[in-house]
Amino acid sequence: MTGRAVIKFFVSLKTSLWLLCLVIVVLLAGALIMPGEKAFLSVHSMPLLDWMRGQPVKSTWWLWASMALLFVLAANTLLCSIDSIVRKRKVTQWMLLISPQIVHIGFLFMLIAHLSSAAGGFKTFAVAAEGTPLEMPDNSVLQIKGIAMSFDSYGYLSDWSVDVEYWDNGQVMKQDRLMPNKPVFHKGVGVYVKDLRAFPNKMVLLEVSREPGAIWALVGGILFMTGTIAFLVLKMKREDA
Amino acid sequence: MVTAVYALPFYLLGLWKRVFLYFGLILQGVYIITRGLHLGRLPLVGPHDTLIFLSAAMVAFSIPFNRGTKGHPALSRGISFAAMVFTASGILWQPHNAPLPPVLKTLWFELHVVLAFFSYALFGIGAAIGVFSLRQKEVFREALQYRAILIGYCLFSLSMILGGIWAYLAWGTYWLWTPKELWTSIVWLFYTLYLHARLMQGWSGRPLASLGILGFVVVMFTYLGVSLFMKSSHTF
Repeated sequence: MTGRAVIKFFVSLKTSLWLLCLVIVVLLAGALIMPGEKAFLSVHSMPLLDWMRGQPVKSTWWLWASMALLFVLAANTLLCSIDSIVRKRKVTQWMLLISPQIVHIGFLFMLIAHLSSAAGGFKTFAVAAEGTPLEMPDNSVLQIKGIAMSFDSYGYLSDWSVDVEYWDNGQVMKQDRLMPNKPVFHKGVGVYVKDLRAFPNKMVLLEVSREPGAIWALVGGILFMTGTIAFLVLKMKREDA
Repeated sequence: MVTAVYALPFYLLGLWKRVFLYFGLILQGVYIITRGLHLGRLPLVGPHDTLIFLSAAMVAFSIPFNRGTKGHPALSRGISFAAMVFTASGILWQPHNAPLPPVLKTLWFELHVVLAFFSYALFGIGAAIGVFSLRQKEVFREALQYRAILIGYCLFSLSMILGGIWAYLAWGTYWLWTPKELWTSIVWLFYTLYLHARLMQGWSGRPLASLGILGFVVVMFTYLGVSLFMKSSHTF
């Protein structure tokens, strides 16, 4: 295969369609394998790539295959976008040309996010009661100051909060409060309440994690939506005209 | 609940005259609003609420699309039939009246779910336009189906992104490897395939109409099949 043939293959829309079909088929296989495989019960206990390396290939082959296909799809997306901009650079409706490329960049950012989280994430769990000190990855200490829970008339948990303090070198560095959908962050590490117990003693199950892909995913999501909405509006305007 | 049941005969009559479809929508709208006021939250938890919401959303979103069929009743009949099936299925399920766990009491959850069902409704309309085109054996109303699916895709993507932000705040990760998330990716990739296939010569007409129909089959399995039969963060 000559260099020109390789580039032709990567800038082809037909290649994109075939790759999308293959990714769908591989994910469908995964969707059938996943519910029946006990190995997947531990998939969220560590970064994905570490987990995949420790599992039998018969459980994870579809993850490896989808990752390989997505690498090729990412290259295809990037080259298609560049090719499209170069070929159509003289068009009058420039926004209509550029908006799908913004969508593509958003998609690429999301792929980077997943790769980054799968490779460089960090996750650990701890059970803690009021007063329990926990050592954090940066050697500071997180202390649980108080756990508050309220229940409605049916006995369902209606709200909760967990007060925490960060200690460093014998001094309180920061005080914060964990609430539903409100984790606490310190030096890029998040602390989340995964579960609570009211009796016999108030206890919390905490997750301490770092998700390096989160920021990439957020930027990717914003770009993706900006491009999609711009494309939608421009396309509808043009069709209505 | 009675109001929701009353919508059924109107949807049935909608197969005959479109105006009845809108009466059914008004009744369902009243039911959703009163139920929401009674519960003090968005009534969108469990198959009962979501199926009724889906049927109402499908009827509501079909209004502008009916104009594109130039008075042909086939599309509104398809929507009537779908609304009837979803409403009847919704009534069969017990309403979820229990208070929500604290993690679900957030605007992120409400936006995530509402947008997801709006997109399902638009994908459903896209499929109905596909069926309409295949059955009528006339020129495929490609632009109409494309518009429904493109708007649906936009809302679906936004729902996924908002769901990711919520999941990050609630559980520390924007992505969970569960069957629901996997099937959601399949839906998203499938409609990405549809939007790109439209740009290829040879895909116009029946292949694209069929893709639009098949997409909604995947959507329905993702929504009901996965939620009911597979353990995931979205289990009913």
